[in-house]
Order: sequence, then structure tokens, then C-alpha cells
Amino acid sequence: MKFIIIALIGAFAAILANKGVAVFNDGLRPIMPEYLEGRMSKKALAATSFALGFGLVIGFGIPVSVAANIILIHSILLGTDIIGTWSPNGKKGMVISGAIGAIYGVGLVVGLKFVVDVFSMLPVNFLPELGMVSVPIIAAFATFPALVVAYQYGVKNGAITLALSFLVRQIVQYYGKFEIGSAKVALNPEGMALLVGMIIMIIFAVREKPDPNAQAVDLVSLFSDRVKKIKKNVPYLAVMGGLIAAGTSMLIIAGDPISLNLLSKGKNVEAALTALARGIGFVPLVATTAIATGVYGPAGMTFVFVVGLLISNPILAFIVGAVVITLEVLLLDFIAKFLDKFPGMKNCGDNIRTAMSKILEVALLIGGMMAANAMAPGLGLFIVVGIYTLNKISKKPIVDMAVGPVGAIFVGILINILYLFGLYIPVVIK
Amino acid sequence: MIRIVVGGQMDKDRVAEIIKKLGGDKVSVEIKTDIQAALAIKTNQADYYFGACNTGGGGALAMAIALLGMPLCATVSMPGNIRSEGEIIKEIEDGKKAFGFTPQHAEQVIPVIMNNILI
Repeated sequence: MKFIIIALIGAFAAILANKGVAVFNDGLRPIMPEYLEGRMSKKALAATSFALGFGLVIGFGIPVSVAANIILIHSILLGTDIIGTWSPNGKKGMVISGAIGAIYGVGLVVGLKFVVDVFSMLPVNFLPELGMVSVPIIAAFATFPALVVAYQYGVKNGAITLALSFLVRQIVQYYGKFEIGSAKVALNPEGMALLVGMIIMIIFAVREKPDPNAQAVDLVSLFSDRVKKIKKNVPYLAVMGGLIAAGTSMLIIAGDPISLNLLSKGKNVEAALTALARGIGFVPLVATTAIATGVYGPAGMTFVFVVGLLISNPILAFIVGAVVITLEVLLLDFIAKFLDKFPGMKNCGDNIRTAMSKILEVALLIGGMMAANAMAPGLGLFIVVGIYTLNKISKKPIVDMAVGPVGAIFVGILINILYLFGLYIPVVIK
Repeated sequence: MIRIVVGGQMDKDRVAEIIKKLGGDKVSVEIKTDIQAALAIKTNQADYYFGACNTGGGGALAMAIALLGMPLCATVSMPGNIRSEGEIIKEIEDGKKAFGFTPQHAEQVIPVIMNNILI
């Protein structure tokens, strides 16, 4: 079942990329019409999709996936973008991209399992310590709305938001358990803190008035042909969205590193809340790029992940996921108008993405250090700090967010090599 | 005076600050939404567009590509890859007006672009 779903996701996403219906990489989407309308060659498009996606798959998707043993969606869908754009046009391309996409999807699941199995067979098993990479995210993910507010409305308002989130967190931790009838309800402190932060963030954002001097650009009427094209593709997108929701509900895939790490610890509700916030962050980006290009994303505005996280039955998740992505597409015009009316929400979306990156960067780096230090006290920190600082000035740097997990995995492999030469002795567990 | 707009989608304040520091009083820098910033180039109210996002081309350049066309836009850094100084200079010589990059590489690529558009 697991393999069927992942094969279907891989195949379908690759075909959608091949047909120019949907690509996952936001950087590839604006270039798609250049190719579809004949201003760019197939070869140039394929080269660009490879350049834009490959670094993220290797340097971000895979390491984050290995550290938590759930596949980060980037690993699959950035790959299918590349497969779809490399495959030839026409019917033949559909078959080829579908077949390779399916093999790629299954290959990722098998590959990930293989890597984890190999790690667990090494003389020094570092998998339990590797799990520590997620410790800081689990504790600190709720801080990001405060950072969003700070970006948009100054540090003072950000600090107030953080203080309120903190108060809610502490109160919920000690008084958040109560009984309704016979059911015991235990509110989660971080989840509630996140919820409060998000509410404050949105209140701030909708209060922002549009600038009366700004020239109005009616994207929808400017690109009406392209909007029509997306709407025509709704049935395919619905299947794609449904498949992703089903895959998420089966715990095979997750949409972003924060919810992935929460999910790996069984914190579904918190993961769903985070995915919801991230979805809000992606609405302006996905909506505006989709309208301007006529190309959608296979995961849409990423709300399908929220569906998958909340619904544990894959079939039901499939149906609801398909409905959600259909609504997103049908409401595109409305969303564009809404964003014009509330410019604060558009800025808020941009800032959510900036804030999540910043928090992930710090949290995954410290998590990587904690994991590496647990594997090899002292040495672990030495190496991860070394990698991070060198990467900063490298000409081909890996994504900052991935340095923590990459560093921790590297230290794990290194101690095994050192062990063989008698240069490392495992920490005795008391 | 060179007029620069920061559109793009991520870390705009930081991008604007780096540009200001490098350009001093030779440049004017304005932060706008990506749509407004691209429009400013189109209507000749600004000379260059800078934008950052995690892919260097999505949030950063989507609206610029849609409104100005691909021939005026260049991605100068992407995850795992910063284009070389020579390549960036070539893009400027080719008449590119809008530049996209990842926020992580802002410190590396903005000086290269600024050094070559200020002269």
C-alpha cells in the first residue's frame, strides 16, 4: 500500500510536470510559460529545472528525511519536476515520465529504509542520537508568529507576541488538563502557544490598510487565459492533492521540516497547526505565481498536508485533500482580490516564510549539534561548527537549514570510521 | 542616482540594508511588494529590481518574469549554487534589470551586482 501510494504520487507528479500542469519548485514555475509558449527550448528548461531542484533534493530534502525517517515532500516533488521536464513531449513523454516518476518514488522509500537499516547495523549505532536533531524544533516551533510580527511591525510588537505566547504556554502546561464528561482533554502547551501567536499575527495583518497611492494591478484580468488554463486542469490537480493528503495520513511524507519532525514524535495536531500556518504563508506566493503563469503546484497551497495530518484514514484523506485543492483553484480569483484588499496578509505570508526559515536554521543547527555531541562529546560540536562556518563562505554551499542534519549524519559516519581505527570509543551508557 | 526597488519575497529589509550600505548616496532604495516593484521597472520609475526567496527564482522573480519577461530577469544564486562573478557581470551586460537570489547568499551576490551597476 505504502509503495502504491508513493509510486502514484511520483508518477502523477512527473506527468503533471511533463504536461506543464503543475510544478512544485516555485522557482521553476515562472519559467514554465517561457517554455510552453515557445520562448525557451526544452533543453534550457530541463537544465534550469535540474539546477534549481538538485541542490535542494540532495542538500535539504534527503538529509532532513533521513534524520526523522519520514520523507520530506521536497525530495519527491523536486525530483519529479526534473523528471517531467527532462522527459520528451507528447504521449511518449507521459509514459516515460510516469514510469520514471513511479520508480523514483518507490526508490526514495526503499532508499531511505536502506540507509536507515545500514546505519542501524554499523558498529556504533547513532540512530537514537540522530533523533535529537528534532529536539529544539519540537520545543521552539511556536515562536515563529512572534518573529513574523517583529518583521512586519517592529521588535516591540514581536516581543509582546512572544510574551503572550509564553504566558499561554505556561498556563496551559499547568492548568490545561480538564475533563469534559468522561473524556479527558489535555491541551498541548506548544500547540496553544502557536495558536495564540498565529491569532495575534493575523489580527495585526488584517488591520493594515492598502496604500491608496499604489498602482492597482489586476493580476486576474491581466492573465485571464492562464487562470482559465489552471481551472481546466482541476480534475488532475484534485487527484494529485488527494494522493499527497493520503500519503501524509499514512505517515510516508510530510510537507515541511517542522511538521515532519513533530510528526515523527507523534504530535499530529501540532504538526497540523504548523502546516496550517505554513499554508497561510504560501497562499500569496502560490496564488500569484499560479495566476501569472497558468501553472499550479502539485501540493497547491500546501493545505493538503493539513488534511493528511488531521485525518488518519488514507481514503478519507484522499477525498478531503482532493476537495481542498479543488477549492483552492476555484477560489484563485477571490484569493487574489482578498490579497489586494488586505496587503498585510500578503506581507504576512512573505514574512511567515522568512520567519520559518530563520527558526528552522537555528533550531536544526542546534539540534544537529546536540545530536552530534551526544554521539561524540566535544568532537561532535567541533565538527558541526566547523562545517557550518566553512559552508558559509563556500561557493557551492548547502542550504543553511540542512547543515545541522548533514553535520550530525556526518559525525555519525565519522565515529564509525574512527572506531575501526581505534580512534573512537563509544560513550558507555550508564 | 540609481533607483533600486526591493521586491522579491523574503528578508526584504536585510536586502535593502545591504544595498543601501553599498550604494550610499548614489542609490535610492525602496521596498515594495513584488508586483509593485516589477511594475516600477516596467513604468521606468526604477532602474533595477532585487528579490530574494528560497529558490532564487520563485518568490524572488515570479512577478518580475510575468510582468517584464524572462529576458530582463536573472537568477544569480540558487540553493547550493552561487553563480560566478563573471557570469553575474555577463547578465548585467546583457541588460538584465531584475535579479533573484536566495537570502542565504545575499551578502555574496549583492556586492557583485552593485559594483557593476554603479560604474
